[in-house]
Amino acid sequence: MTRPRCTVFLILLPPALLYASLFVGRFAVSPIDVARILFAQIFPIAHDWPKSVETIVLQIRLPRALMAMCVGAGLSISGAAYQGMFRNPLVSTDILGVTAASGFGAAVALLLSANALGLQLTAFAFGLAGVALTYRLARIYQTTPVLMLVLSGVVVAAFFSALLSGAKYVADPESRLPAITYWLLGSLNAASIKGLAMALPPIILGSLGLLLVRWKLNVLAMGDEEARSLGVETERLKGIVIVCTTLITAAAVSVCGMVGWVGLVIPHVGRMLVGPNHRLLLPATLSIGASYLLFIDDIARTATAGEIPLGILTAIIGAPFFAYLLRRTSATWH
Amino acid sequence: MKPLICAIWLSGFVLTAFAQSPSSPRSAAAPATRQITDAAGRIVSLPPTVNRVADPWPANNAMVLMLGGADKLVATSLQARNQPWLRRLYPRIAQVPAAFDAAGGVNVETLVGTQPDVVLMAYGGSLPHWMDAVDSYHVPVVMMPNSSLDGLKTTVRMTGEVLGEHESQVAAEYIRYFEDNIRRVTQVTSKLPQSERPRVLHTATPGILVVDGRESVIDDWINVAGGVNAADVVGLGRPVTMEQVAAWNPDVIIVGTAPNQQNRKAILDDPRWRQIKAVREGKVFVNPSGAYLWDRHSAEAALQVLWAAKLLHPAQFANLDVNQETKRFYARFFHHVLTDSELSSIMNATEP
Repeated sequence: MTRPRCTVFLILLPPALLYASLFVGRFAVSPIDVARILFAQIFPIAHDWPKSVETIVLQIRLPRALMAMCVGAGLSISGAAYQGMFRNPLVSTDILGVTAASGFGAAVALLLSANALGLQLTAFAFGLAGVALTYRLARIYQTTPVLMLVLSGVVVAAFFSALLSGAKYVADPESRLPAITYWLLGSLNAASIKGLAMALPPIILGSLGLLLVRWKLNVLAMGDEEARSLGVETERLKGIVIVCTTLITAAAVSVCGMVGWVGLVIPHVGRMLVGPNHRLLLPATLSIGASYLLFIDDIARTATAGEIPLGILTAIIGAPFFAYLLRRTSATWH
Repeated sequence: MKPLICAIWLSGFVLTAFAQSPSSPRSAAAPATRQITDAAGRIVSLPPTVNRVADPWPANNAMVLMLGGADKLVATSLQARNQPWLRRLYPRIAQVPAAFDAAGGVNVETLVGTQPDVVLMAYGGSLPHWMDAVDSYHVPVVMMPNSSLDGLKTTVRMTGEVLGEHESQVAAEYIRYFEDNIRRVTQVTSKLPQSERPRVLHTATPGILVVDGRESVIDDWINVAGGVNAADVVGLGRPVTMEQVAAWNPDVIIVGTAPNQQNRKAILDDPRWRQIKAVREGKVFVNPSGAYLWDRHSAEAALQVLWAAKLLHPAQFANLDVNQETKRFYARFFHHVLTDSELSSIMNATEP
């Protein structure tokens, strides 16, 4: 695709998919009804559709679709930023232990039978705490070498995974254990307007932060010393990137559980389309990630009468796709 | 340093050898004179009298209590020990060693140390992975059905048979009572046309939306009570989308997992549920819970069919007093006279 065509495609894809997601589902709603319900929110037109249809579109599908887009976009841009910062194409958003820590937070909330918002808040707080711990561990003499960050991330993730297993071990197998298990498999089923209002600010804030420093990521991707010699304050930049991605990932995990492979695969798709330059790559991953997770979630909620956990689909589709990318681009990632 | 390590190492061996010696010969020497065919189709040999029972299955712990064999329990699970109403009815349960964990695993040493004559287990289609380890100590394991109202009768009968003469008699008495209740309800409900059978959604679990589908004990009692299971999925605790629930649009919602009251409130407070017929018409109910969850494979399933029938068809069951039946049931089978506040705790699924 040529550059302008590619840009138009990436701008139009997410809204088109969003509209489609509002009339696709187990409950039949026509595209025209969806358009009229949406218009009725702004313009005064006659409400001649059943109230239940409006609930489906506005209360159930819209928050869920928006949530899928935010989570997909957020995880993808975080993945792209981390892959640049760690100078490694295999890095994903959970490298600093945020997913494991959030997962444990959610399990604790489920054990204490917290409500949906309490669960989201606890998972978010634990995610932030987990990364703070990793960062503290990795800090040596005012610097945070990449290797130390990765190793500390492994330590913190392993620690919280063990705590999570402990929470599962004491959970009641009739009620709490399935709740924890299903939550960890990932789902957007709990998406509500309130939940969206809580998850949106950190994701938007983090994404904006990453977009603002995206050109400096190009410099950082050359290595700490080179970047410093070009006048970039690498420690501060790393700090900003870590804070932004952590805000995004913790918010994403807290709302939909562990959704793997998005933050790993989408940046590679972005590089295929627009190249490795972070100035273009980061905005592109926003669009691709939002569309990808929205599409996957549409499958998750419509393919069967039950709900297919999101984490299963993202891995089943993501892993072979990643293998295909590896074969095609044969390891020339930047 | 070296001799010390050797000494510790050796003493470890000696201790292990001693620790194992009391149980193995004892079990091996016990003559097996009874045989029972279990739910997995295995023919299991049992000692002539059973005085020590290991039973991790919370619902079945309550059944053992009902049959009068609770003093024979020597090992159970943490989950069984933590059932609030089971503890109220039988406080000793809190002292029975928890050899089993939530995931169905077992600490074989703890289990063998309690010297059980038999292990009672729920059969979910596969044998527990620790079966071989326990077999090597010659402890018989009896698998019992766990997925339908018919299976429940088999489970009570088998539990009685394993425990002994007296327990078998109580089991037969319970099964008669159970069948009477089913007959009492189906006499009325079997005549209902499809149009008068409300569509019931039985939902559970905080934090995530799961429902109980077909081919389950829950589907069974919904049908007996004259309803139709609204959830068109197979098995217990299946995750579904909010949208699918809206498409099913159930007439009645029964909330079935602790904390029931809190989960019911979560449904009533959620705007996404507001257009569901059951919520609009105020038909969201909490399932009672006693020695075990009434809606599951429990002794109280005999009461569940009465409760659900009265709930779904109040006019047809006008002279059925569920509260009275409940008091009578606990007095007769659990030898516990319920006070009014205890009764309300059971009906509202709160802790005693």
